[in-house]
Formats: sequence, C-alpha cells, structure tokens
Amino acid sequence: MASKRHIIVGGGTAGLNAITTIREIDHGASEIVLVSAERPYSRMVLPYYLARDITESHVYTANPSRLAQLKVTPQLGRRAASLDTQAQQLTLDNGTVTEYDDLLIATGSSAVRAPVSGADSAGVHSFWTLDQARAVLSGITAGTQVVMVGAGFIAFTILNSILKLGAKLSIVEIAPQILPRMIDRTGAEIVEGWLQRHGVEVRTGAHLQAIEDVSGRKRLRFQESGELEADLVIMATGIRTNLDWLAGAGIEVNRGVVVDDHLRSSVPNVYAAGDVAEGRDFVTGERAVHAIEPTAMEHGRIVGANMAGQPLAYRGSLLMNIVDVADLEIASFGAWDRATAEVSSAVKPDQPAYRKLLWQGDRLIGAIILGVSTAIWTTNDVGMLKGLVQSGSGLGPWKEYLRRNPFDIKKAFLASRTTAQLLPQKILARPSIPSGRVSA
Amino acid sequence: MKVLRIVPEKCTGCMRCELACSYMQAGSFQPSKSVIRVSPLEANTSFSPYTCTQCDEGWCMTACPVEAITISPAGAKIVLEDQCVGCKLCTIACPYGTIFYNPESHKAVKCNLCHGEPACADACPTAAIEYVEVETADWLGDFAALRAQTDLVGLGAGR
Repeated sequence: MASKRHIIVGGGTAGLNAITTIREIDHGASEIVLVSAERPYSRMVLPYYLARDITESHVYTANPSRLAQLKVTPQLGRRAASLDTQAQQLTLDNGTVTEYDDLLIATGSSAVRAPVSGADSAGVHSFWTLDQARAVLSGITAGTQVVMVGAGFIAFTILNSILKLGAKLSIVEIAPQILPRMIDRTGAEIVEGWLQRHGVEVRTGAHLQAIEDVSGRKRLRFQESGELEADLVIMATGIRTNLDWLAGAGIEVNRGVVVDDHLRSSVPNVYAAGDVAEGRDFVTGERAVHAIEPTAMEHGRIVGANMAGQPLAYRGSLLMNIVDVADLEIASFGAWDRATAEVSSAVKPDQPAYRKLLWQGDRLIGAIILGVSTAIWTTNDVGMLKGLVQSGSGLGPWKEYLRRNPFDIKKAFLASRTTAQLLPQKILARPSIPSGRVSA
Repeated sequence: MKVLRIVPEKCTGCMRCELACSYMQAGSFQPSKSVIRVSPLEANTSFSPYTCTQCDEGWCMTACPVEAITISPAGAKIVLEDQCVGCKLCTIACPYGTIFYNPESHKAVKCNLCHGEPACADACPTAAIEYVEVETADWLGDFAALRAQTDLVGLGAGR
C-alpha cells in the first residue's frame, strides 16, 4: 500500500504541532508536505526578539535539519493558491499542483490596519510577522517617540520591549478601555493607572482620523482634540483569518473554517487548526475562533493524531491570555466577560490587585486575575484558576468561600479535590517529544 | 517512574522542605523561592506540602512555544533556562499552579525532582514527603477537604 500523503498548509504553531504529532505516531511512515510562506518561527517570542533579549536564531521553531529529521518535504516561501477538494489537489502560488490524502488548513491570520489615511505610509508598522518585527526593531532606539494604535493583547505583548529599548510610548485605543477583549473595565482602569505611573501615555475612546507626514515625523489626528507626534507608529488594530485562498473549495466557512470535534472541516479529509479554525469553546460549548497560542498547539496535536490514523475527539479550547507590563501580570480565562454569569470580585486597596470570578451554579466558568508578579500568590493562583475552570466540577461549599476570599484560591483548590479531577483530563496523555529525541 | 508522594497527615509544618528546595533551586534559604509550598490549614494547625505531580500530559511542556521545557533523565519536566524567554504561557497552561514565573530571572521555574535526589524528601523529618516508585495522585485532596472544614464555618454554604 502506498504511504499516506499529508499536506500541512501553514508552518506556525498549529502546523508544526500536527507534524510532530504525526511523526510521534507513525515514525516517518507517511509523506508530509509543509507549505509555508515563511520559515517556521514562534510568533509568541517575537516580543523578546524586539527587546533584544534573544537573537533571531532563537525565534525559529524548525530549521532545515529539523524538518529533514521529521521527514518533511518543505515548500517554504510558497503560499497555497487554491484547493480542489474533489480532485484532492492543492495548487500553490507558483502553479505547482500536489495531490493529498488529507490536508490541514493552518494558515493563521494577518494583521489589519485601521482604515485611515496614512495607515500604509512609511513609518507605520504592524507587529505580527517576523519581517514586521525586524522593521520595528530597526526603527526604535532610546528616545524614539512611539505611538501604539490599539491596546489589545498583541499591543500589550510588546509594551515591555518598547520601554526596555528606552522609547517614549503613547497608546491610543478606540474603545472606552484598554484590553477590551481580555479584561473588564475595573481591571482596565487599574492597568491604565499602572501604565501612567510607568510613564506611558494612555488615551481611550480615541478615534484616529489620519496619519500625516510632517517634516520627517508622523502626526496623528483624532476626531477628538489633541494631536500626537511620533517617530514610529505601530498599528495593532486587529487580525483577520487567512482564508481567501479557500474561495470555491466548498468548505464551510463562518468566522473561521467550521470544524467538528475531530477538527475536520465540512470536507472530512480536510482539517483546520489554530487561528483559522472555528471549533468548540470548552467552557460555553459554542463555536468560536480562539486566535491564541494554546489553542493552536492543542488543535495541532489533535489534528496530528487524527491524520496519523488515531481518531481523537477534542473537548474544546479554553480561552486564556496572560501578559505583563512593567511586572504587573494580567490574565483572563474562559467566559470572563459573560454578562449573564454570577460574579464575585475584589480589589486590594493598597496595591494593584484584582480578582474576578464568574460562576454558573457552583462551577467556575471564567476568571480575571491581576497583580504584581513579585506577589508570590499572583503566579501561584494563575494556574490554579485555570485548573478550577478546566476541571469543570462543582465546588460545592467552596464556591461561597471563594466568593468571599477570591485572594485565597489554593485552599479551595486543594479541598475541592481539583487535582483528582484534573489528573485524568488529557489531550494526548503525554507531552510532545522534544526535538532532540524524535525518532522519525 | 519515581515521584514525590505526599502524606499530609505526617506533615508538621516545619518548612524544612521549603528551605531545602529554595536552597537547591535558588541557592538561598528562602521559602518564597521554593517550588514546593506548604499550605497551612485549620488556623495553622494542619499543613500540606504541594508541588508538581509531573503529570502525564505535561501541560507546561506542550504549551512552551520554544521547547524550553523537556523531560529529564529522572522523568521530571524541567525548564531549560537558556531557552526560556519568560512568556508565561506555561503558567497559564498548567492547571495545577505548580510552574511559576520568577520576576528576577524572568524565567519559568518548577520542580525538577533535583535530578533524581529531591532535597525536600531528604529534608523531611517525618517522611511526609517520599520519593518512591508510584502512580502520581491527588495526595492532598482528602486531607484538605477534611482539615479545611473550619474555614467553611459560618459561610452559610451548608455541608
């Protein structure tokens, strides 16, 4: 029998996790073609590259020898142009046609810029790809005046780097608060105060109208009064899924490629994973696009097992984000913004610390946690809050305890036997094998 | 594989495990640097040490975007300091709250079983922490559920 032919479209976290999982199972028995516009790297570590904490070589996740070790036929620098799901053929942008037995759509997403005049002019950057990171890096030195347009998660991942480089930073956000898709208003106000104490100017509810060139610098005009001048502008105004190439492929697409519990699209031998996939939300059970690293990783591993012939259902992805700015940690989990949930919350009067717990009956379905990273219980409780949401079990009398003591998570975590609930919960029931020990 | 079996009934709260751990992990006798942490229960009359179970799934390890967490010869999931960038993804992926972020080194830190000779187990005078060949488990749940009852008194939560 001819060996199975897999095509992985996209060399990001989802695609590479699928490849390593296939190889962990089949030890090289199948053919794998990887189509990737860029050499595989980790987007998650680009902020540390920007800060010059790490060199560019640290950013890459799979070099040529690693791909050879994984017995992958790489098509790097190439993009998928079209997909014929009837003939089971993928056409690349150079006209190459490749047949497959099954295929993974893991083309990720791209940065989009606010539709204002001057948004595409020189000196205005996105920060999403490695090339874009290089461009920003070469434009920032000590004293550079940087304006960040957009105050979402992506923007926040690079605030520390910009400050570390000695730049002066202003952040403008169209929404009434910063981090509108990660934390609530109360949390946002604490973070805004913290940023201002660290010398960062924050403007919320600011409607950017135009970016103009004024004697070699950029001038930002707003519907509201008050202009801003900058040497460099970063547009962190959102992302969109890379799905254009699927037009006419006959695959059901909503906000992303709609996938079932095995991460199969409406065409059963075509899978989707990561930012492009619209799969089950673990907490709500509804379909959602979770454009976050942990989902890309879990999706990739589940798809890899299925492509390698080990049918495996996915329980759904748990929304989670963590970012810190000047040693203030900010994290949220699950249904942190569910308006219908029962809520308990508390702030500490003497330091920037905030907890919000969201309940459905006696189950914790979402949480926001905010605190300085030097406070030992901040990082301690981050994981336990995730565990309480992930376990999905009723907390009985410990719900009332947590409602009254949201800063004492551990006692409730232990006494509600959450560890016992979590130990049987698995994705693959094993970690991925580190690159040094792949036997493919 | 050998794991740390915790027998909380034997714990006296002497904190020697935390001192030994912090000395091994960070070179100083400072409980805040320990990756095994003793929880006081019943108004400081019962105690339960808690640390990484070295779970099968390895949530921290698979979450790492740069393969900075690997498995040691002792079977522990360990952080490779020179690879870790400090992104904290592992700290939100681990549902047990047993991998931490060190704000001084800007790295993740967790139990590495002291490369097969855990200092906490050595330091424990009552064998509340043993390093033995056994399936990992929720060592503390039943004990904590019983001993923490006093914290529920007056909450009107019933029981």
